[in-house]
Amino acid sequence: MSNTVIPLLLDSLASAALIFFAAVGLTLVFSVLRVLNVAHGSLYSIGAYVAASICLFIASRQLSPYLSFVALLFSAVFVAAILGPLIERTLIRWTYGKSEAVQILITFGLFLMLEDLQRMVFGVQSLYEDAPVRLLGTSQIGGVVYLNYQIFLIGMAVLVVIGLRMLIRHTRLGRLITAVVADREMAQSIGIDTNRIFILAFSLGVFLAALGGALAMPTSGVAPGLGADTMVLAFAVAAIGGLGQIEGAAVAALIVGLARVLAIYFVPSLDAVAPYAAMLVVLLIRPYGLFGAVTARRI
Amino acid sequence: MMKFKVGLTALAFAAGLASMMPAAAQEKPSSLGLGIFTFTSGPAAAYGMPGKNAADLMIDDFNAKGGIEGVPVKPIYVDEAQGAQGVIAEYRRLAGDPKNQVMVAALSSANCLALAPIAEQLQVPTVGWNCDTHQLLIDGKSKYVFRPNGNTIPEFIAYAIYLLDRKPDVKTVAIINPDYAFGHDGANIFKAALKALKPDIQIVAELYPKMGSPNYQTEISRLATMHPDVVFSNLWGADLENFVRQATPRGLFTSSQVILALGETILQRVPLPDGVIVGVLGDGWWMSPDAKANAETAKFAEDYKARFGEYPVFPSIKMANALIYVKAAYKAAMQKNGGKWPTRTEIADAMKGSTVATLTGTTHTRADNDGLVDQIVGVTVKSADKPFPVIGDMVRYKGDSLMPKADQDPIAWISTLKPEFVKTLPKPGSYK
Repeated sequence: MSNTVIPLLLDSLASAALIFFAAVGLTLVFSVLRVLNVAHGSLYSIGAYVAASICLFIASRQLSPYLSFVALLFSAVFVAAILGPLIERTLIRWTYGKSEAVQILITFGLFLMLEDLQRMVFGVQSLYEDAPVRLLGTSQIGGVVYLNYQIFLIGMAVLVVIGLRMLIRHTRLGRLITAVVADREMAQSIGIDTNRIFILAFSLGVFLAALGGALAMPTSGVAPGLGADTMVLAFAVAAIGGLGQIEGAAVAALIVGLARVLAIYFVPSLDAVAPYAAMLVVLLIRPYGLFGAVTARRI
Repeated sequence: MMKFKVGLTALAFAAGLASMMPAAAQEKPSSLGLGIFTFTSGPAAAYGMPGKNAADLMIDDFNAKGGIEGVPVKPIYVDEAQGAQGVIAEYRRLAGDPKNQVMVAALSSANCLALAPIAEQLQVPTVGWNCDTHQLLIDGKSKYVFRPNGNTIPEFIAYAIYLLDRKPDVKTVAIINPDYAFGHDGANIFKAALKALKPDIQIVAELYPKMGSPNYQTEISRLATMHPDVVFSNLWGADLENFVRQATPRGLFTSSQVILALGETILQRVPLPDGVIVGVLGDGWWMSPDAKANAETAKFAEDYKARFGEYPVFPSIKMANALIYVKAAYKAAMQKNGGKWPTRTEIADAMKGSTVATLTGTTHTRADNDGLVDQIVGVTVKSADKPFPVIGDMVRYKGDSLMPKADQDPIAWISTLKPEFVKTLPKPGSYK
């Protein structure tokens, strides 16, 4: 029994960690900007492409493979620093206060452009460099060999949840973000530079998306189409957790991870639908998601 | 005014009708358009691009030697990643131009199934350069759709036979295939062959991850907990690369005998361990003894490497062989009609029953338009002169030995096979 239960639990956590990274940036951006960013998946895959390119460069120059860990973090910072302000200032800013349909259309257009851009820049073959996986080695747990990198990812996901909570609750920037989320107009009236907060929050969302892609790359590689798959899963997780709820995204990732793993272990034919079945059940019981709340709509 | 409108309508109708009619035998055109359907984007491009690369190389070679029967070839590529509706629309558009006499379509079995009735309706010779599904020509009535590179039935029976020869004590098998027709067909054929040839084998897990999945860690855990003697997979493209890269460090290749039906496509890209059973879904292994003995194949492989930075993989060979097949059909059709440029119908007639020498063997087209090609299977071994593993301990099964008759239901035919059947076939290591 333990030979099934332990792998099942560990697989659920490992799967949840990857799913959480895919969704947390999306939910953060929605909580601050009230924009559902359909291009989120592309930012995830760009993070993966940049990380793969840098790690491959490190390998080709025979530099220390430990630099690849730095490269994973650097690539997320690089993507966020370039694309975060650029996209927010040129596209996203025009969608504030517009209807959800307009926001979705604009960000979907951005998604299509970014997908083609990736093909032009990185080609259509998959990219992959697993130095971080090799460096961390493997462990036998419950009779099954696991990559220590999978456990590292679980730890990283926990760190990100704690880090974001600390940022929001215990820093000045966090308090400013909280003020903007609570009442954008009131925050503006007391002198908060909301435009700056929007750029920072959107860039942080891009960073989290790119970090997710970068951290997934050493085990999953990156190939065309990754962005679209990620986007759909991220939406499911964000909806289950409650749009804009960071802790909700973490719990939702656990639910989706567990649902998927249970399906693979016991009903493999339901593997693909398991996350969405979980979403359906949660939304039927709680239409605003697990951590979401009904909000009055201002007219 | 009324007469003018009626006249105009009649003219348009006549023009439309003319475009639907097969062109009569005619003078040689200034160029010959070939519609070539493959995946040039998306995850399937990992398989589709080697096909396109091979087409570019072969067509340049044809044109350098004067084209096909003196007419330069002009390829028009269609990306299958746009989905069946787009592919059908592109096919109809290309078929509407009489200069595009032949379609080399397609890679995806689903697209092949969607295009087949249209090819018959428009009477356009259509050569499935990949089109593995055995369902494509199952009714035996096709006049214009041909598949020179064989189908899933011999391809997957070959793996069952090779496995039973190499590991006769196998008791448990797990399967991980992509969740669409090719994955399920492949699993059903492989299971049916095992059931017929060694009835006591147990299938302990069947996993069908979504095509394009980047992560197989949970599936690998599940396979590991089942401890199967054998893991069979027909994952392909980026999916296969990801699966192998994730499964290798987790010990799956050492705890089970792994069969990767499309493993040859990643030999140059992913470090596969020794002893993995791989094949080429046909005879398209550019380093097989027959291929090595053919100067044209050796030149093709070196030219391919020089131009694209990698040696060809079997999808490249399938495409090259399909184009050789088309070229041979033109030659045969023109020999038959006294040297006139052939019509579409004459080209299709020339393909029927033809036997064509390819880069890696021969393809014989049966009465049902399906190709008989040999099946090469082996295991990965280290190479003395290549920086990647190659296929060793090979066997080459005759094309007709693993195919049912044209009018037989393939799965029902497999169930009639007896364990003794394996003994009648060549053994691993016999092809050298």
